[in-house]
Amino acid sequence: MPLQHEHEFLVTGSHDEMNRQHYVSRLRMHILNQIGAGMRGVYENRVKPKFKQTNGRVPKNEHEIRKAMLADSYGKTWSTMMVNCQDMVWESVRPAIERAQPGLNEKVSRVKATHGSIVLNSDVKVPRYLAGADIHRMPGNYHTERATDDVTQGALYDRGRFVYNGGAAGPFADGIPRTMAAYIKARWPDFKPKKILELGCTIGTSTVPFVDAFPDAEVHAIDVSAPSLRYGHARAEALGKPIHFHQMDAEALDFEDQSFDLVYSCIIFHETSRKAYPKILEECKRILKPGGQMIHTELTPVANMDDFDAFYIDWDAYYNNEPFYQTYTSLDPEEWVTKAGFEPSKFFQASIPDLDRSPPDVFAGAVRNPTVADRKAARVGESAKWYTYGAWK
Amino acid sequence: MSDKIKITPVNRGKRPAFFDDPAIDQLMAIVMSMSAEMSVLYDRVDTIERLLDNKGTLSRDDIEAFRPDQDTEDERNVRRNEYIARLFRIIHEERESLVSHDKMDEYNELMDELAKP
Ligand SMILES: C[S@@+](CC[C@H](N)C(=O)[O-])C[C@H]1O[C@@H](n2cnc3c(N)ncnc32)[C@H](O)[C@@H]1O
Repeated sequence: MPLQHEHEFLVTGSHDEMNRQHYVSRLRMHILNQIGAGMRGVYENRVKPKFKQTNGRVPKNEHEIRKAMLADSYGKTWSTMMVNCQDMVWESVRPAIERAQPGLNEKVSRVKATHGSIVLNSDVKVPRYLAGADIHRMPGNYHTERATDDVTQGALYDRGRFVYNGGAAGPFADGIPRTMAAYIKARWPDFKPKKILELGCTIGTSTVPFVDAFPDAEVHAIDVSAPSLRYGHARAEALGKPIHFHQMDAEALDFEDQSFDLVYSCIIFHETSRKAYPKILEECKRILKPGGQMIHTELTPVANMDDFDAFYIDWDAYYNNEPFYQTYTSLDPEEWVTKAGFEPSKFFQASIPDLDRSPPDVFAGAVRNPTVADRKAARVGESAKWYTYGAWK
Repeated sequence: MSDKIKITPVNRGKRPAFFDDPAIDQLMAIVMSMSAEMSVLYDRVDTIERLLDNKGTLSRDDIEAFRPDQDTEDERNVRRNEYIARLFRIIHEERESLVSHDKMDEYNELMDELAKP
């Protein structure tokens, strides 16, 4: 697994702290890929037969499976390890970032906007779906301000997310957006967006690959979380990437109608709400120019999965502070995209093989022949396919 | 702006417990943390060995300043993975020894058979 690229503002830690972080990554991958991989066998060979014996039938949905699996010792052990390891991720990066402060905030506040820009707007309210829960148990979420001009949450996310992924998304933690950008270029080679917008960019890890893929385009990125945006702006400047960051709510964008050629997001909807989701899709439609493209990578809808996988993927909803996760995965993207005003014939969806983790011919095949995977596709380290959907205006 | 910053949860809620006795969840958390500390210690020894191999002497500053290159990190990851597999072997053993009920019946029959005088 690669080491993380160290830009000027990244906080890693001391000798021992870094090794602790690297260990936590391996432990997490082990829990996910080795212990987690045993969950289905435990279900089929032990939990399901026992359920059948007691109830005279097999579990009828993911909820019954969850109850039965969490009554099993293997399910309990896996679950407690998952929760604890999630907390170990944040705990492994916390001390070094606390030590780096307030120096880090001061360093970031001195950054000059030479390549891109940043516009903050303190009138933007943090929506309840972010304010109400520390998603992924990340202490303080993306938005908490702990001082004036604070970037703490951005620093925590940058290093913590890398530890969480165990490097599986590459040195820049950008496997998904790099895959998306490469897919767009390969599948629609004549599409040359001049103005691009990312929704929910956090620290811009998912913005940079679009700058690289479309060097002639003007790239904008929005988020509601100021500490993440400040940090992301500093990071982009350190990397020499022209990105224009704005503090905005995706439900009510300040951009003019028909002002972008491409609008995209990378795993943001499942962290919003049932009310916000359609509003954001409508905003995408509004700000797109005719002929423009909207594209989102997200969790695979559970309708595409069997009940066991649905239980497995929705586990996070219950135990990893993902309050909208389960409702989101139950929605049909095609239905909502068309409700937002896109033509049904202009809708598309595909499960895209991860650029780094699949052979080139597999990626090329998925471009020629787009299909949607029928099994879980979005869990780190498990399957190297990303469910992506969108529409042309 | 010069105040110390503490990274505290804002809305994390209570950590879920899965076992009937939450002490078991706590014990697992302690074991996992301890496993990390042992790995960190091992890496420190590894750093010392590498420094001695390369320079023949070492100082604390050398140790603190040592950062693995990709090859060193890859070696350490192999070691970490093997270590984790040994440490949590019991969990895999449970999974691997899972037998469906009919197999259990077969085994019980075998026991009965072997017990016959
Ligand atoms: C999972 S993170 C996205 C990660 C990022 N795109 C990446 O791939 O690294 C979700 C982000 O969406 C932002 N977000 C959620 N709802 C939003 C909204 N209504 N408007 C703007 N940003 C929002 C959050 O602040 C958070 O930074």
